[in-house]
Amino acid sequence: MRYAIEARKISKNFGKTQALKGVSFSVKENEIYGLIGPNAAGKTTTLRILSTLISPTNGSAEVFGLDVKKHPEKVREIISYLPEEAGAYQQLTGLEFLEFMAGFYVDNKEQRDEIVDEGKLISGLEERLDDKVKGYSKGMKRRLLIARALMMKPRLAILDEPTSGLDVIQSIHVRNMIKNYADSLGVTIFLSSHNMLEVEYLCHRVALVDEGVILAEGSPVELIERYGAKNLEEVFIEVTQSE
Amino acid sequence: MNNLLAIVVKEIKELVRDPKILIGVILMPIIIFPVMGSAIQISQESVQRAIIGASFAVYTDDSGFVTDAFLEYLYNNNTVVPIEAVNLEDALRQFQETDSNALIYIANGYHENITLGQKGVIQVYANLRKLNMAETSSTDVVSSLINIYNYYFGITKIRNLMEDTGAIGTPEAIRSPISIHYYSILKGTVLDIPPMSIFTLVMSQSIMLPIMVMMMVMFAIQMAATSIALEKEQKTLETFMTLPVSRMTILAGKLSGSIVIAIAGSVSYLIGFGYYMNSAFSFVPEATTMSIDAVDIGITPVGFLLVGVVIFVTLVSALAMAISVAVFADNVRTAQSFTGVLITPIMIPAIILMFSDIEMLPQTTQWILLVIPYTHSIIATKAAFLGEYLVVIRSIVFMSAWTLVVLYIAAKIFSTERIITAQFTLGDLGKRLRQR
Repeated sequence: MRYAIEARKISKNFGKTQALKGVSFSVKENEIYGLIGPNAAGKTTTLRILSTLISPTNGSAEVFGLDVKKHPEKVREIISYLPEEAGAYQQLTGLEFLEFMAGFYVDNKEQRDEIVDEGKLISGLEERLDDKVKGYSKGMKRRLLIARALMMKPRLAILDEPTSGLDVIQSIHVRNMIKNYADSLGVTIFLSSHNMLEVEYLCHRVALVDEGVILAEGSPVELIERYGAKNLEEVFIEVTQSE
Repeated sequence: MNNLLAIVVKEIKELVRDPKILIGVILMPIIIFPVMGSAIQISQESVQRAIIGASFAVYTDDSGFVTDAFLEYLYNNNTVVPIEAVNLEDALRQFQETDSNALIYIANGYHENITLGQKGVIQVYANLRKLNMAETSSTDVVSSLINIYNYYFGITKIRNLMEDTGAIGTPEAIRSPISIHYYSILKGTVLDIPPMSIFTLVMSQSIMLPIMVMMMVMFAIQMAATSIALEKEQKTLETFMTLPVSRMTILAGKLSGSIVIAIAGSVSYLIGFGYYMNSAFSFVPEATTMSIDAVDIGITPVGFLLVGVVIFVTLVSALAMAISVAVFADNVRTAQSFTGVLITPIMIPAIILMFSDIEMLPQTTQWILLVIPYTHSIIATKAAFLGEYLVVIRSIVFMSAWTLVVLYIAAKIFSTERIITAQFTLGDLGKRLRQR
């Protein structure tokens, strides 16, 4: 079995605060894997480690066999990361933003244009892409950023709260976008969310994380059956209370 | 290289399209300075016109040929309003009813004093109605007129005395027996030019270069800090740091983009400031008509190249320092307040060394200044003008070493997770101090 991600006992300390306490998990290639948990559970820290922004204090993590600590630059070539509170350059147009980002993944203009065309399609922003980002609504910005994260067809897309701050309609649009993209291109997606229903809809497998520890892991259906719950929200409450 | 260029272009677009930067850094100096200069020029010209067209009043209660001769001189040289009054009090009342700004009062006894070989006293009254410059300058016009008369009157009296006594010499030499003639020795050559004239020339021409360097450094620091803080404020830094581009390329891109904007800002500042100086001080007569080449203190191509190197290392180190510090700010405002702290060690040596040489300062001050790397930028640009290339090279070596240290720190911050996790607020400082 080939794994897109293999995390082995990763822990992370920020001063005296222990954000992760020896977390281990693995994500298969072409899988959509979700981390769910409350605020300060360690989700963003895990995503930042996998996207090479920060290093684990202990343990190791590999992305497609590449150690994130030893080969961060190689890892960055095959991943794309969407932070929870990501923004885009306010003074650039949406199109200029996509072109700027695409330029780092390919050398020639033709390939870059192909990537940007894909980005235009994913974003669905059409002629608004010619406007400066500073005039975009929150939903438009998020769509632009998700298009940025997926347009170059990364082997692994790491999405932190992809529908954060979006209304119901925009959230559904973004979720469908992620699902269709992952299914059609076979991209591995590792995401985090507060939203249990979103995770239940999108993910093949999920891990419930709280206070830096994985409390349960499995497919949404498995977890719901295991805990005799109606949905993942109930599973989460069950798991955290039993802890 | 493509990635670096893409980052530089993005940086320039981001900074130039930001109205705060476009207006504040590039457009304002080029607009505001000429406007200020024109305003000063208009007011100065109106003062000049008022002084030239001003008349003054004359009143005397004295009589005699010495007084008559002085009155004739005054009537021939200016617009004079004669005052006919019974006494000084009446004359002053009448004077205040005229448009004149000054009254010359030749007091009773003037003729007698002078004929007896004593000093004749003349009183000048200035009427300050609006307390403007034209009113106060009117007494200067009167003083000049009286001084000229005084000089020739003195010379005539000396000549008459010499003829009476048969003394040898000239009246001018007897009135002022010592004459000073100034020479300057510059790079071993004796020049028939007063040192003050050379100083004025060097100040007016070579001082612009260190000022430009400092302006550029300050603009660049602001740009670099803003550029990093914008990434944090716009929440783009995390995404940027996960792109397949080396952190050193990102750092170099940010430094280069900031340098381009800083140069644009400095050029705009210099154009605006040059226009301001020309228009604001157009009424001041030229101090010297010498050109800088005539006294052989112009900058040679080698000197120019060395100054270029000095500017480059100065800019790179200042920018790397600004970026390293700005990483700890989470928004543009905090970053700019941090840069205020950084600008201080650059400004202090610039201001001190603008007016004096390092050797002229007390030993302790010299050591303190020499520890500040940016002192060497000023020393080097000045030395380049005087052809002291060894001093320039020594400064370049020191500045380069400092630049490497700062770049190393910036690179360290960029290559580790500190770029993401570093955050510092004044609240943190307070908290840490309280903990101690």
